[in-house]
This record gives sequence, C-alpha cells and structure tokens, in this order.
Amino acid sequence: YSLVFTLTTLPVSQSTLAWSRSLCSLSGSRGLHVTASCCKNRAARIRVGKGDKPVTYEQAHHPHHIGHRKGWLSQHTSNLKGEDGAAERTVEDVFIRRFMFGTFHGCLANEIVIKRRGNLLNVCAVMLQKLPPQKFYFLIGYTESLLSHFYKCPVKLEIQTLQDKIVYKYL
Amino acid sequence: MQTDEFFACIAHYSVSDLTNQLYFINTSKCILLHLSVSLQKLFSLSQESGRSAAKFIINNNPKLFTKDFAEPHIPCLMPETVSLRLEEVSEEALKERITLRKVTAAVDMYDQLLQAGTTVSMETTHSLLDLICLYSDRDPVQDGEPQTDDEFGEELKKRKARVRRASDFLKFTWKENNNAERIFNLLPERDTRCYSALIRGMVKHGAYAKAFSMYTDMLNNRLTADVHIFSALISAAPDVRDKFNERWDLIAELLNQMNQQKVRPNLLTFNSVLKSLRRCGFLAKTQALHTLNEMKALGIGNAAIRVFYYLVFYRQEAMLIQRDLFLRACFLSLQCLDSKDLELGYKIQSLVDVGENWRLLGDSFHGRFFNLLCMMEHIDVVLKWYKQIIPSLYYPNPQGMRDLLQALDTDSRLDLLPSIWKDIKTLGHDNKPDLVEELLGLMAREKHSPEVQESFAACALDVKSVFDLRPSIEWSAASLSHITTLLLRANKTRQAWEMLQLFKARNRVPSEGLLNNFLSVCHSDGDPQKAVELVQLSAAFCLPTTWRLAKRALAEFDLTEEQRNDIIAPNPIYSANA
Repeated sequence: YSLVFTLTTLPVSQSTLAWSRSLCSLSGSRGLHVTASCCKNRAARIRVGKGDKPVTYEQAHHPHHIGHRKGWLSQHTSNLKGEDGAAERTVEDVFIRRFMFGTFHGCLANEIVIKRRGNLLNVCAVMLQKLPPQKFYFLIGYTESLLSHFYKCPVKLEIQTLQDKIVYKYL
Repeated sequence: MQTDEFFACIAHYSVSDLTNQLYFINTSKCILLHLSVSLQKLFSLSQESGRSAAKFIINNNPKLFTKDFAEPHIPCLMPETVSLRLEEVSEEALKERITLRKVTAAVDMYDQLLQAGTTVSMETTHSLLDLICLYSDRDPVQDGEPQTDDEFGEELKKRKARVRRASDFLKFTWKENNNAERIFNLLPERDTRCYSALIRGMVKHGAYAKAFSMYTDMLNNRLTADVHIFSALISAAPDVRDKFNERWDLIAELLNQMNQQKVRPNLLTFNSVLKSLRRCGFLAKTQALHTLNEMKALGIGNAAIRVFYYLVFYRQEAMLIQRDLFLRACFLSLQCLDSKDLELGYKIQSLVDVGENWRLLGDSFHGRFFNLLCMMEHIDVVLKWYKQIIPSLYYPNPQGMRDLLQALDTDSRLDLLPSIWKDIKTLGHDNKPDLVEELLGLMAREKHSPEVQESFAACALDVKSVFDLRPSIEWSAASLSHITTLLLRANKTRQAWEMLQLFKARNRVPSEGLLNNFLSVCHSDGDPQKAVELVQLSAAFCLPTTWRLAKRALAEFDLTEEQRNDIIAPNPIYSANA
C-alpha cells in the first residue's frame, strides 16, 4: 500500500505530504490525516548490508513471501467476501501491537500474532527472559484485564519465552 | 464413625456438590507447569495483582473505557462507578453512597436529610445501619493504609503481642457513642432488623458485652430475634464468660430461647456453636457429638460437613482448619499418615482420581504419602510411585528427596543415584548443599563395581560443574572430599588433582584419609613428582598428618635428590623420622 488515508469527511484537497499532517479548513471540522508514503518496493524489506546485522525469519522474508514462506501476523475473517469490519480490526491490531510493545518493553523477541476466534482475541507473543517470571505474570494479568475492558471481549495472552532472539541469518 | 463410613461419605460427595463452598486457587495454568507450591502461589498472586492494577486504572479513567462495542452489553467489562454522581440532598443520593460503601458520606447525607425534615424509608435506614455496623463507622480502607487506632485498639494490640500482620490493622474496633448507636437512638421505631444490624456489628468488632445488653433491651421491648442475631450471640458467648461450663450454659440458654421464639437455626448457627465449643475445653467432645446429631436430625448441611467437624473434634487437627476448606482439611487431617496406615494411604490415593477430587488435595498429602512409601515399601514400589507422582502431582522438597535417598540406601540400589541427581537438578534442589552432600556421601561410602564407579565419577564431575556455576554457595569439606574420592576410584587422577586445588580456593581442609588415598593412587600410577606435590600441598595446609605423608613418600617412592630436598627442606624433622 502506498498512502493510508483516514478521512473524517470528504477531502477538501489532496496534497503530497512527507509526514502525517492534518488539514483543517477555517470554516468547519473537515480534516484529513495522511501518513508518510511507503513504497511497495521498500515496505517491510531489510536490505542486505555488511553481514553483522542479525535478522529473524520473519524479518528476513519479504512481503511477497507471505502465504508461501511466511504466515499471517493477524488472523480474522473480515477480509472474506461479504464480511465487514476490516478497518476496525486493523486499527485494533495496530493499537494492540503498540500496547504490547510498550508494556513488555524490550522483551519481545518477534512480531506479535493476533488471532480472533469468535469473540475471543488471542494475542500470541514470544518473549525474552528479561524479567523474572512473577513480573511477567503481573504484566500478563494486567494486559489481559485492561484489553478486555477496552475492547469489551475476552482477551487471552499466550506467551512463550526464550533466552535469546532466534537469528535466521545475518545481513 | 468408622473410616469406611467416612470413605463412603467422601466418595459420594465429590467436589461438584461443594464447589460453591470451597475456595480454589486458580491453578489452571500452573497445574501443567511443574512448579513447586510456593511458586504456584507466587505466580497466581502476581497475576491477580496485575488484574487489580488494571482495575484501578480502569476505574480511575472511566471515560476511556465507556465506548461500548459489545452486543449484547457486557456489564462486567464496563468501568465501575467509584465516584459519586448525585450531589443533592435526597434519598437517592443516600442509596448511592450506601452502594458505593462511603460510610462517612452516607452518615452526613442522612443527617442532612433529617435536618431538612424528609423522612427516610425503613428499607434505606436498615441498609444504612447495616453499612455503618459492618465497617464500624469508618470508611473501608483504601490503598491498604493502616488506620490510626483509638485507645481500645491499642489495648487489643497489647493483648495480641505477636507479629503484626496487615489484617490486624484492618480489624476495626467498636467506638463508644458512634454514629450507629446515635442513629439507632434517633429512630422513632426500632424493629428486629435494626437490632440485628447493631448486635452483629458489635459482635464483629469486639463489643461483646454491649451486644448482650442490646439483646436484653430487645427482649424487653418484646421483639423476637432472628437467626442472625442468635448466630452472632452464640459466637460471642466464649468472650463474655470465663469458665467452660458457664460458656456452654450460655450457649444452651441461647439455643433454648431460639426454640421458644420459634426461630429455626441454619448452618451458620451450628457453625458458630461448634466454633464456640472449641473454646469450651473438656465439654467440647461430648457436646459436639450431640450438636452433630442435631444437625443431622434437622437436615442442615450434608454429610461431608459433619464429617469435617467430627474430624475437627476427634482428631485434634485444629491447626489445619481454614474456614471454608472442609474436605481439604479432611484429607489432610486423616492422620492416616501419621498413624502409619499405608492401606489408608492407598485408598485415598485411589480416590484422588475420582471426579474432581484432585482439586481438594492440599500440598502435603502427596508428600506424606511418598514419605510413608519410602519408609515402608520395597524400592521397586517406591520407584514406580516416584515415576508416577513426581513431579506432576507432588513437587518434592529436599526432605522428600532425602527420604528417597534413604530408601535407595536401605535396599542397596545405590546404582540409581546418578539418575536421582539428574532429577534433583531438574527440580532445582541442586542449590541445597546438605542434600548434595548426602547424595555424595552415599556414593562415596563404599567401593562398587567398575561400571557403577564410572557412572558415579561422571555424576561427581557434574556436581563439580554445578559448584563452579554457583560461586556464592558454601560447599563443605565433606562434599569436596567425596567428589575427590569418587574421581580417584574411577582413576580420574587429573581431575582429582584439580579438586585438591579447589580445596585451597574454597578455604576447606582435606582430610587425612583422602590424602593417604591420593598417595596410594600416586604410588600405583608410579608418579613420584605428584607425591612430592601432594606432600607440599599438605604442608601448605599445615596439616598435622604432613609428617606421616612425608614419611610414606620417602619410603615408598624412588625420589631424586631434588625431590627429597623438596620434602625435607621445609621441615627438617621429616628427615629425622625417615
């Protein structure tokens, strides 16, 4: 995808923007939020470097490998024909990823996988053993409770822990 | 009651009958992970505290959580109202304050209502009195800060001069002339419920004599008491009388009055009778039996509860009783294991698989069962049970492992010791020096066949590597000696030599036997240089046996002139004895 538009009403005018900016007209509350453009040939690709940068399996494979060598990070049914709510699910996913990144700061070994089964929101994460287990349990209880109240659906966290990040190759 | 009858009860009333009466720790995840009980408790408690932290944030920022996606509406996932909404002087506002448990605010609102002249309905007055009496006219403690106690509280503290716990700070005492009594006196007409609130509050917060005088007041006003009042008074009876028979007489009189006023007792009444009976000394046993029969006759409570109380009184397991853990206490208090009844142990073990009874097991049942097995059964049976219950059903403590080691020793199966060491490591008991020392001692005690010696030596090397990983733990001289002996017996002389160097590093002194052993090995290896170094080492430790070692070295080995000098020079006395 190239540009992500979030429109509150009909656009007043388009513009090419480097950063996310909102455009408000003086008369009313029309607004336009735009993110930075991310071209298809640069998104989610780690370029080959000197050979000292460790890279996980997830990072090493480029987006065109999704479905062939990679799975999906976010699994829900709203992209099927006749189903709606894809945008809402995406926004929720972005929030959940940022929330997990901040709450378990420095402990995530890999990207978070979010699965939706019926009403249940299942957040699967692989963590590094940076915190003692009781702190992990504290954060797990906190996250589950907070996200359940926020999204009004049961949220379950499935955490596995590792000593170190698993390096697939060095780029 | 015979034990067979007891088993019939237990087998019939499985957990599902008592689910709502029992308290389970949420071990849904922890059961699958092999964790010791203390870790299980730690983790489930930390998860709970995480949840309450989230609740705190949610309740303090309700605006962020009010957007409702759910159809149908899920009330438990909405933020709870913690702050007051209604500010005007009305009965609605009073009701709101009562539901939110704001005691002082509710009392103020009530006073304002009275001053304004509005009548408050009886229902609301009852709830208000209940609230004040429950919290003894203080706001329930927020954030766990200890409230400042008044002089009555100080007295209470002096009486219970033991370790102060958080619950001591949360115990409120009944103030003199507090709002409850004031409001009570202001009421134009007082009915049973008002008296009930007051009496129960007084009993809960320690004003026992007052409770009884209030009860007499009530009788003088020709009101009948209800079952809650009687339960409260019965539980307060031991506190207003000193002698055992006086206490029992008071309880009996209360029960008679209950009968006269045609109030039917419930389970709580019998509960308080039995609880008070425990403080009646010698009368407890006889009267308890009568009480239990009464319970049966009235059809109150089921058989399991009666069994529980039977065990309480007739097996003296008072210290194991926790308030709602009926059957769990039954399992523990069965005393079969203290009375060394292995048959009973097997029967209970078979019952554990019935239904959901596994939830009822306390921490110590399997421990004691295994202990008994180790003492009484043949090693093959012990090992079979060991594989079965460890570590899924029982996470052994060091004492449990010691019992196992003893059993292995008794039946001369010491060749299994290396695999037991692996288990000890997995269980995390390898940081317990005495346990490791015992294990090493058993291995090093006698000479075994060569393969067994080899495996012992490998095990000893493993133990040594564990030592090296934990510099903070103090290893004893005995452990180090045992390891060295095992290495010597398996002809691993080089590693044994490294061990000797470790002695100095760890400030431990090797024993004479060990050094003699070493010298013999050097002799069989034909290594005179090592022998010299050994004597020098012994001299460095300033051991009294050095001269004997020197004598042996000089006698048994062919030493060069230089080597002789190395031995003799530090202490010329050796040459005199040589």
